[in-house]
Amino acid sequence: MDYWLGALPAADEDSVEQHLMVCDECGDRLRDIIALADSLRMLARSGSLQVIISDQLLERATATGLRIRAYAVRRNESIQCTVAADDDLLVARLAVDVSAASRIDLSWCDSGGVERQRMADIPVRADAGSVLCQQSITWAKASPTSTMTARLLAVDEHGGEQLLGEYTFHHTRTIPGPAGW
Amino acid sequence: MYVELSDADIARRIVDGDREAEAELCRRMGPRIRLYGLRHLRSPSASDDLVQRVLLQVLESLRGARLRDPEKLVNFVLGTCRMIVLDLRRSAHRQEELLARFGDLLVPESAPVPALDDQQLARCVQTLKERERSVVVMTFYDDQTAAETARFLGISEANVRVIRHRAIRQLRGCMGATL
Repeated sequence: MDYWLGALPAADEDSVEQHLMVCDECGDRLRDIIALADSLRMLARSGSLQVIISDQLLERATATGLRIRAYAVRRNESIQCTVAADDDLLVARLAVDVSAASRIDLSWCDSGGVERQRMADIPVRADAGSVLCQQSITWAKASPTSTMTARLLAVDEHGGEQLLGEYTFHHTRTIPGPAGW
Repeated sequence: MYVELSDADIARRIVDGDREAEAELCRRMGPRIRLYGLRHLRSPSASDDLVQRVLLQVLESLRGARLRDPEKLVNFVLGTCRMIVLDLRRSAHRQEELLARFGDLLVPESAPVPALDDQQLARCVQTLKERERSVVVMTFYDDQTAAETARFLGISEANVRVIRHRAIRQLRGCMGATL
């Protein structure tokens, strides 16, 4: 994979290319890697994954002409939100100070406060000031009108949790579909 | 019979005017050159063009006995690949002229890149740890380098590579027989 990604030092890349010119078995293996890389690229660009992303990725998505629906939410704020049929990416920017936390979990809860999903140990720099979470656009387009709350939690080495911020999303369905899941 | 010949023997026979040996060279080297093209040109059609141009140049050199040491055939093919990729990047229009001139000559059957079950892959990606999933998405979205990903995560490039290796290994395992 490092060869395919262009991440090898020049000397190692030369060796790999010499070998690929005489070894069809390794050529087949490289074709498998190319297939995986191509599929991962399509998946990454599809907006269907729930994943923590960087500002840089968001800027690149914008530059390529994707239609991005982004909600910036302050700590302990509630917002109204929706998603349209022609949106490509759905992103929530959650403002938070994580400078004192060693591990951050993002917990998604329903309107009754019951945790439905937890994104454990999310990648975020201590000086970031916010967490940028891409929600699955596929899921959001199918989602009925509902309320979800995101909770950012600092987790210590003993499993103790401290609430860093709570963000409530009142989602209104604008795309035709069933009233509930 | 030709399949069993070494690359050097194939080269010697081509020098002697053996057309079957030329066909074997194309069958043998075409898919390998195409892989080189996919890696450096990132385009299946450009890779097909590369195959044509490299084979043409190599065959012309062999026919003209300009390759002094047949044992160095692989090095010669690889060197020709490198030169032509540089040339392709410099002058795309020249490539079109050559294609128009030589048409469908020397087009080998290329081994297809296998298709994956995208839905299964999506499920596998969702089973990755958050950090791994972010690294995978940022790496493959538009070939982001380890350095760029490292800056976002606040970790070293080496760590990014370790996380990426671990994630890819898990994905290959999760995809099972299809990879």
